[in-house]
Amino acid sequence: MTSIEIGLWVTAGLLALVLIGTRVAFAAALAGLVGLVWIFWSKKGYDAGELSWAIAVAVKTAGQVPHSKVSSQELSLIPIFVLIGYLAYYAGLTKALFTAAKRWVGWLPGGLGVSTVFATAGFAAVSGASVATSAVFARIAIPEMLAEGYDKRFAAGVVAAAGTLASLIPPSAILVIYAIIVEQDVGALLLAGFIPGAFSAVIYATMVIGMAMVWKKLGPPVTGFSWGERFAALPGALPIVFVVLIIIFFIYNPFGGDAWGTPSEGGALGAFLVFLIALWRGMRWKEFKSAILETAKLSVMIFTIIWGVLIYVRFLGFADLPGAFSDWIQSLHQPPMVTLLLILCAYAILGMFMDAIGMLLLTLPIVFPAVIALNGGEAVTAAESAFGMNATGCAIWFGIIVVKMAELCLITPPIGLNCFVVAGVRPELSVQDVFRGASPFFVADALTIAGLVAFPAIVLYLPGLLLGL
Amino acid sequence: MAGSSSVLEDGSTLSRIDRALFRVETVLALFGGLAVFGLMLLAVASVGGRNFFNQPLRGYVDWIQFAMPFIAILGVSYCHRLGGHIRMDILVGRLRGRALWLFELLSTLLVLALMILLLWGSWAHFGRSFDLGRPLWSADSSIDIGLPLWPAKLVVPVAFGVLCLRLVIHVIGYARAFATGVERPVAVPLIEDAAAQAAHEAEAVSGFEEDAR
Amino acid sequence: TEWNVSVWGKRRAFTEHIEKIAELVSEKTGGEFTMNISYGGLSKNTENLDGIQIGAFEMAQICAGYHPDKNPSLTVLELPFLGVNSLEMETEVSMKLYEHPAVQDDLARWNATLLMPSPMPQYNIAGVGDAPKTLADFKGLSVRATGGIGSAMETVGAVPTSVTSEEARQAMDSGVVKAVAFAPHAHMSFGTIEPAKWWTTNLNPGTVNCPVVVNTDALAALTDAEREALLGSVEEALAYYIDFYNNETMAKWGPLLEEKGVEQITYSDEALKEFRAAAAGPIAAQWVEDNAAKGLPAQELLDLVTGVIGGGS
Ligand code: NA
Ligand code: NA
Repeated sequence: MTSIEIGLWVTAGLLALVLIGTRVAFAAALAGLVGLVWIFWSKKGYDAGELSWAIAVAVKTAGQVPHSKVSSQELSLIPIFVLIGYLAYYAGLTKALFTAAKRWVGWLPGGLGVSTVFATAGFAAVSGASVATSAVFARIAIPEMLAEGYDKRFAAGVVAAAGTLASLIPPSAILVIYAIIVEQDVGALLLAGFIPGAFSAVIYATMVIGMAMVWKKLGPPVTGFSWGERFAALPGALPIVFVVLIIIFFIYNPFGGDAWGTPSEGGALGAFLVFLIALWRGMRWKEFKSAILETAKLSVMIFTIIWGVLIYVRFLGFADLPGAFSDWIQSLHQPPMVTLLLILCAYAILGMFMDAIGMLLLTLPIVFPAVIALNGGEAVTAAESAFGMNATGCAIWFGIIVVKMAELCLITPPIGLNCFVVAGVRPELSVQDVFRGASPFFVADALTIAGLVAFPAIVLYLPGLLLGL
Repeated sequence: MAGSSSVLEDGSTLSRIDRALFRVETVLALFGGLAVFGLMLLAVASVGGRNFFNQPLRGYVDWIQFAMPFIAILGVSYCHRLGGHIRMDILVGRLRGRALWLFELLSTLLVLALMILLLWGSWAHFGRSFDLGRPLWSADSSIDIGLPLWPAKLVVPVAFGVLCLRLVIHVIGYARAFATGVERPVAVPLIEDAAAQAAHEAEAVSGFEEDAR
Repeated sequence: TEWNVSVWGKRRAFTEHIEKIAELVSEKTGGEFTMNISYGGLSKNTENLDGIQIGAFEMAQICAGYHPDKNPSLTVLELPFLGVNSLEMETEVSMKLYEHPAVQDDLARWNATLLMPSPMPQYNIAGVGDAPKTLADFKGLSVRATGGIGSAMETVGAVPTSVTSEEARQAMDSGVVKAVAFAPHAHMSFGTIEPAKWWTTNLNPGTVNCPVVVNTDALAALTDAEREALLGSVEEALAYYIDFYNNETMAKWGPLLEEKGVEQITYSDEALKEFRAAAAGPIAAQWVEDNAAKGLPAQELLDLVTGVIGGGS
């Protein structure tokens, strides 16, 4: 059996393990370990006496991965981003944002929905995780919308969908993970998420306004705030602006001077600022301890998937499956853009059943080299490439699109985590209600993705300033 | 995708062992969380030192790499006790009673086998970096300031060892449930319906607004 | 026989001798002995020695300074100001050191046999801001320099700062460091030459030593013809590497500096002598003391290295 065939069998085994409910991280590690044994044993011609040797080598090879792969400076951004999010709850930043948004844009048709979208986008700028963001806004925004007579499905759908902005707008754990898998500049990817995130928020808001204008009973405007009240609401939301500015200035200085540091330092400084605000707002040991424990739990969850999947990826390296897949993709007789769209469709289907991080980690080691090859390879110039950009540009562009795809999956049935969370927080809403309310945003997301595919400049403008693409 | 679940407790020996181990797991997770906080302070010190005293922290990257296994791995069993590791329960979630416990037992046994092997492999990884006969017992050190790496490598087998104990508890719990056919056994994570599960997720962020005032 | 070879990064000047030796070995054995070179797929670069010891792959490239305690004997070649001034001399002194029994024992702990070096030119510094025209100008200069080179920079008042090589460009753009010490090919591949305003042509504070090693058991398991093909190809592979580095990489380097208008700073002999006096002696003495404590014949290794260099120049 060739190593490619071994690779395919092991991958099938991995899917079977996931289907019978084995936790994704462990399923991937187990598949990788078995695959390594298989590869090493096959090198010795399946000699019965060599099986124990093959097992020892495989176990020791896999046993290196957890320590070796998590000991990375770039990955240290992830726990920091998670910590910022938890501290931000204690600092009371979410409520302040929603209040400010309500007073400024509540007068629009579907005004509270629009407020939710923009407040969530603002909170996304300090939170690295989508699910947590939806959970928070389900508690804050939905009761207010229901009190103003908003349609409950509509209200729930807005919250579930807007929560997905957290993974596009930096800081974003998932963008860091993408950058590391594909070995691209983390700062450039974080920067690249900004405009598409804002673009996505504007599309959501437009969608809300449009729907509220057509179906008047979905959600009325909320008016009657004086300019005094509007300005009074700003200071509470100001810390978010500071944190966002710090993170931006540590990645890229928009005024043309030196940036102030590295993304890891910017993230840490932002977290420190939010920590001080939380202290000032009355956080004490009890709250600090639960923020710390929640940070530890979510970080460990993410890192366990990372090292588990990387054991599988180490096996793929020995089996050389990525190279084979890339060759196969290139051998297809169709325009590269068609192949790319097919890959995106595959992600949409896969995403219906999988969670975002696991899906990206499992697929990118194979898919990413193929996409780069599709574009014309590592050394291609923008002019000669299939998608009109060099390899670095293609890596960033594809990354943002794929992360947006993964986020879309958080609101699609049957397994849309954000919808479950929103339904869980509000007893008056069933999961079906939330899925139905979120379905128009499915269309909005499809539009966003089409926009990103058709106009790569939306993605590449900011990182281009940093990298000079 | 389930990200959390609940564990029932009673006065049985298994449940008492479960809770005792959970206390150990919580302490380990707390260390991991404090390491995140330490990482943040380290970065602040580094930026401050550089900009205000022209004295950057020597070996900043080495220290981060050293701290990461504590953050990433020490709490692995804590997370598992709380059912925090992501799984797809769309199929097993439909099973009830013995059929469910059989699948859970099977999958837990596989994970236990995996973790015992990885315990061996990560211990060997630690062993290659540790040598009692050398200064600081170090046979592997970091690139810039030569920090001995064995403590960071030791974290992995320690955390995996605790996880193995946790998995043994789960194996016993599921095996007993399969034997007796009970509907809701103790000391193992139970699959929740979507609503209960989401309520659990949300619990993590609930009460913050109120508490914070 | 098929060998797996673990290297990292992308194919570049630094890996050309490995590509070449794979080609030569396959030719000489009529395709009987092939090498499958993987760039990063088999191991992390700092764990390549572990992989060799485990037996996961048969050949790998390592850098001594990435993990000094794994291979203390090799770090003698990374001491600052040894006076190596060509790739040929770097190759000669490396090969001599690799033959020393204490060095071979040091690597034997990893079940590894040293095959050949990946000779690199001396590091030099590219930077932004005011160029350090004299040694006094280095005071307070934040520079990305690791290990012995970092210690050497410290002796003239510079401030060594940790950033990874991947983050070096960004650290320079962002003012985290004002200067970066790399070999020329790395200045090009990590992009630190892009923002640079100046470059030191002859500071030559040292380099890293990156041998190619093979698994000792796998070497022994080769047929005589295969082993002969491998060991007999080292010289030609190294010659190819040196030629490639000198004629491809360095040929691009000079014009690139001109084209970007990078100021080239050349220090006087007196200035360099002063630098060496401040850095070389004390750091080497410290190295001998530390490594004697690890049970190495440290003074003997240092004498061997300085002897070869003294004889060659
Ligand atoms: Na975010
Ligand atoms: Na979904």
